[in-house]
Amino acid sequence: MISAVEPGAAYGLRFAEPGHTIVVGLGNPILGDDGVGWRVIDELDALDHEEASLQQACVGGVSLMELLVGYRRAIIVDAIIDPTAAPGSVWRRPLTAVETRVASHLDSTHDAPLPAAIEAGRAMGADLPSDIEIVGIVIERGDVFGEQLSDIVAAAVPVAAAAVVGALRGLRPSSPQGEPVHA
Amino acid sequence: MTRISIDPVTRLEGHGKIEIILDDAGDVEHTYFQIPELRGFEAFCVGRPVEDMPALTNRICGVCPEAHHMAAAKAADAVYNVTVPRTGRMLRELLYNAFYVTDHATHFYVLSGPDLIMGPDAPKSERNILGVVKKVGVEVGGKVIDARKAGHRVIEIIGGRRIHPCTGVPGGMTKAISEEERDEIKALADGMVEFAGFSLDLFDSMLADEAIEEIVKGDLYTHQTYYSGLVDENDKVTFYDGQVKVVAPDGEIHGQYEPKDYRDWISEKVEPWTFLKFPYLKKVGWKGLVDGKDSGMYTVAPLGRLNVASGMATPKAQEAYEKYFATLSPKGTPVHSRGATHWARLIELMQAAETVQALVNDPEITSPDVRAIPTQTPTEGVGTVEAPRGTLTHHYWTDENGVVTRVNLIVGTTNNYGPIAMSVDKAARSLISKGTVVTEGLLDRIEMGFRAYDPCFGCATHTMPGQMPMVVTIRDRDGNPLEELRRD
Repeated sequence: MISAVEPGAAYGLRFAEPGHTIVVGLGNPILGDDGVGWRVIDELDALDHEEASLQQACVGGVSLMELLVGYRRAIIVDAIIDPTAAPGSVWRRPLTAVETRVASHLDSTHDAPLPAAIEAGRAMGADLPSDIEIVGIVIERGDVFGEQLSDIVAAAVPVAAAAVVGALRGLRPSSPQGEPVHA
Repeated sequence: MTRISIDPVTRLEGHGKIEIILDDAGDVEHTYFQIPELRGFEAFCVGRPVEDMPALTNRICGVCPEAHHMAAAKAADAVYNVTVPRTGRMLRELLYNAFYVTDHATHFYVLSGPDLIMGPDAPKSERNILGVVKKVGVEVGGKVIDARKAGHRVIEIIGGRRIHPCTGVPGGMTKAISEEERDEIKALADGMVEFAGFSLDLFDSMLADEAIEEIVKGDLYTHQTYYSGLVDENDKVTFYDGQVKVVAPDGEIHGQYEPKDYRDWISEKVEPWTFLKFPYLKKVGWKGLVDGKDSGMYTVAPLGRLNVASGMATPKAQEAYEKYFATLSPKGTPVHSRGATHWARLIELMQAAETVQALVNDPEITSPDVRAIPTQTPTEGVGTVEAPRGTLTHHYWTDENGVVTRVNLIVGTTNNYGPIAMSVDKAARSLISKGTVVTEGLLDRIEMGFRAYDPCFGCATHTMPGQMPMVVTIRDRDGNPLEELRRD
């Protein structure tokens, strides 16, 4: 049986009791807008709320699945490249409504897709959240090294943070397919 | 619905593109394996204190931050010309070998294992981690997760964080470990060795399957290249420190050198169709993407490391090494089949686990003497480790205040770029003939070819997180597209 990792400990962030909600900001903080998930976690930390464990990470697949062990609910905040949406726009969707790679390691040279990792984790008896939601921030590019966000993505940080707080307080997207979040 | 993935993979701007050009007869003339690029890492580092580099460079890649952390710490040691105390060095090695346990376990069971455990002919939908868990049993899946947890816990104890360690600094480590922490690592180490033994036994049983034996020994992914890797003072495989040894395809020693002299031995060839440069052996020369003793193409990572060394550094790994060569190359000449890399990786897993066990039982491992404070004027330094995916070199230049003025990195996968491109080409040729393209197996064979190398194109192009969608375009000689196969 897999036990919970030590949530929040990695970056010294305060966290709630295991078994509750974890908010994971994903990305690489030295790849410009790619690190927006981390900035949203910083914003949430500054709000001084006590409703969830906060975690910043740049992992995927199995490692990301392992971060979620022991929690009832997870919210993952991540940068998204979506050519059909304006940079800086924000949306919320349940994981099940996000089209990901098929559950096959063949689609990746280095890790399993998150849904496959979660399914495998459950098959191995891991206690994983039944409710996983994604807050995505659309970025134009995440392939240039730098520690600054672009202005338009920086402006989306409080919007995404508010979306996370709304999710934490039980506000649900209006449709199972998710919805855009407006400032 | 708009096609979006939360896997970081789709946040890469480009795809790993494979262009196959057919000649007039419809046979493969060239295969180009292209990789997208991220820009500006070296410029990003310039102007920073060199002691920041171990923390900064481990953000280059989400797959092997520990390797970059160690190479950077060693380069910073060299910049200050400072010698790390024995306990500081042991702690670094302990952390690094624990990382190897997590990394090699993940690759075998999550990435490459499915091809072998499920068999190459199993439906694609079953050749994944779920299929593995169903086939070998939930309890085996639990062993894999436990091995990863154990490795991550050791990294956290010594490195300060479970991922992205932060305790390596010029001259050593920022903290020692307590006796309680040592005792915890001892228990974890015993489990690691047991897990490595289980994995080697599992591999033995898999070799009875003819299809798997064909992958490990067969010709499809065989290339007669040179091999390169670090060896210790006893000519054994080492991951943290040693000299670079290079052998020819027939096993003759080409040379052995200090990592800081890499520019005397390695050159990089720029090709107009890819962002990534092809390293080759300078003293042999560039002959293109071809194998043989006249071509400077060389292979690193597990296959290369076992081919250059005269053995493993620990007893159980040595036993497995002897069985490996007795099976694949009784005369002891290099093993050329890329499929054998999976076996070599498990032998390295055993060495890493045994090394963790040996180091944690050293009486001085809890000594507080973990760092020598640098006192000399900083200048220039090279730090090299064996990353799981090959020899990783960090080279920094600084001003007299230790501020970085120039950076050069040669990462593990970059060394293997040529052989990977050759394997992709060979797979393409096996399924394309006289204009007939066997599209059904093409993507699988190409992927199985390069997956044996465990490539990290994230590192190679300084991207995160090293995952890659794939597009194969088949064109005629004039460049007109005939067919496009995608796996997003």
